[in-house]
Amino acid sequence: MDGHLLLEVVTPERKVFSAEVSELSFPTATRGYYGILPGHTPIMTPVGDGLITYVQQGQKHVLTVFGGFAEVGPDRVTILARESELPESLDATALEVTRQEALKRVKEAKDPHDLAQAQADLTAAELRLQALQGR
Amino acid sequence: MASLQDIRRRIRSVKNTQQVTKAMKMISAVKLRKSQDRLLAMRPYATKLQEVVADVVARFEPGAPIPESPLAQAFLAPREEQRIRVVVVASDKGLCGGFNANLLKLAEGFLQEKSDQVAHLDVVGKRVADWAKKTKRAVSREFVQVNLPDLLHVAQEIAESAVGQYEREEIDALYVIHNYFHSALSQGPRVVKVFPLKMGGEAHPSGISHLLEPSSDDVLASLLPRFVETELYRALVESAASEHAARMSSMDKASSNAQEMIDKLTLNMNKVRQAAITNQIIEIVSGAAS
Repeated sequence: MDGHLLLEVVTPERKVFSAEVSELSFPTATRGYYGILPGHTPIMTPVGDGLITYVQQGQKHVLTVFGGFAEVGPDRVTILARESELPESLDATALEVTRQEALKRVKEAKDPHDLAQAQADLTAAELRLQALQGR
Repeated sequence: MASLQDIRRRIRSVKNTQQVTKAMKMISAVKLRKSQDRLLAMRPYATKLQEVVADVVARFEPGAPIPESPLAQAFLAPREEQRIRVVVVASDKGLCGGFNANLLKLAEGFLQEKSDQVAHLDVVGKRVADWAKKTKRAVSREFVQVNLPDLLHVAQEIAESAVGQYEREEIDALYVIHNYFHSALSQGPRVVKVFPLKMGGEAHPSGISHLLEPSSDDVLASLLPRFVETELYRALVESAASEHAARMSSMDKASSNAQEMIDKLTLNMNKVRQAAITNQIIEIVSGAAS
């Protein structure tokens, strides 16, 4: 094993990321984060919401991911994400506005459905902000 | 014979129409490119997902016990189709040749054949909504005036509710009727059964046997909604691309028809003018002779 993994992140709308990395971790739907090093046992698992962290030339980078599916092989990891963004494509000021709005909606929510929706939006905005800071 | 004035007026009007059709053709060409790009962008995702699904399904040997959950059963042991849900996809606007007409003809035939099974009917596009109203069909969800970037949300919404219905055993199958985008020059309507899936026992191309984490049941349960969503999204994008391709070619035809008409009218106009001049000359000559 030469110590490299090909990480590919694909959404229905585009290929978000495709490059060699030396290690990575991604959020699973039910079991917390999985850390992957080259030579990992092949697994397939549902992906949750969170941040994909990968190391490239000693540098740590992040990507957001919202749901999907991961296929891990010894030399490649393919993540079929529902949504995923590079931090470069995110805008901090706009996100802050979304976050504040979501926060307001959480406080004012009347029925459980609204509350769940508002909470989901809030978490999403917070995750994206976190991705921007972790860059 | 029409007077010179009339013919001139006619030519002017045809020219105006031609300008409109030419402009529409250009707009459609741009929109076609956009939707085609989207179709190409989603292909890697769809292909990968199909590979994964095929791989997971291929591990279950025939005769082996099938997981209990309804979603796992959807992959491995389809129920008998008693109630089905049908999604009909076409366009909001007309002027695109046989795009809507052909699709609705197919949909009509399909729905009639399965008339006692159809439990839910969703329509995408104003033309389909109008058709459903005219034929007095009950529509459960209606999506009109959907822009290209929102297609994914429509797909997600339909997929989510359809998968839920399947789990609650309210429906046994989901069908989509949409226009298939073969190339910019050829499109046609088709009926696609989204799920339950008919899976061949082909193995994964890489031949790697993956562990399914946390369990095969969970993996299947998370794969099916994703798969349905992707198939629906693909159907919607293909329909959008086909619509613009169809409109482009029909507007191209209209423009060249208009050109032909202008040529004919111009010829006619010249003849009429020549005849008038000849007439005048004869009058002058005969006047001078007498």
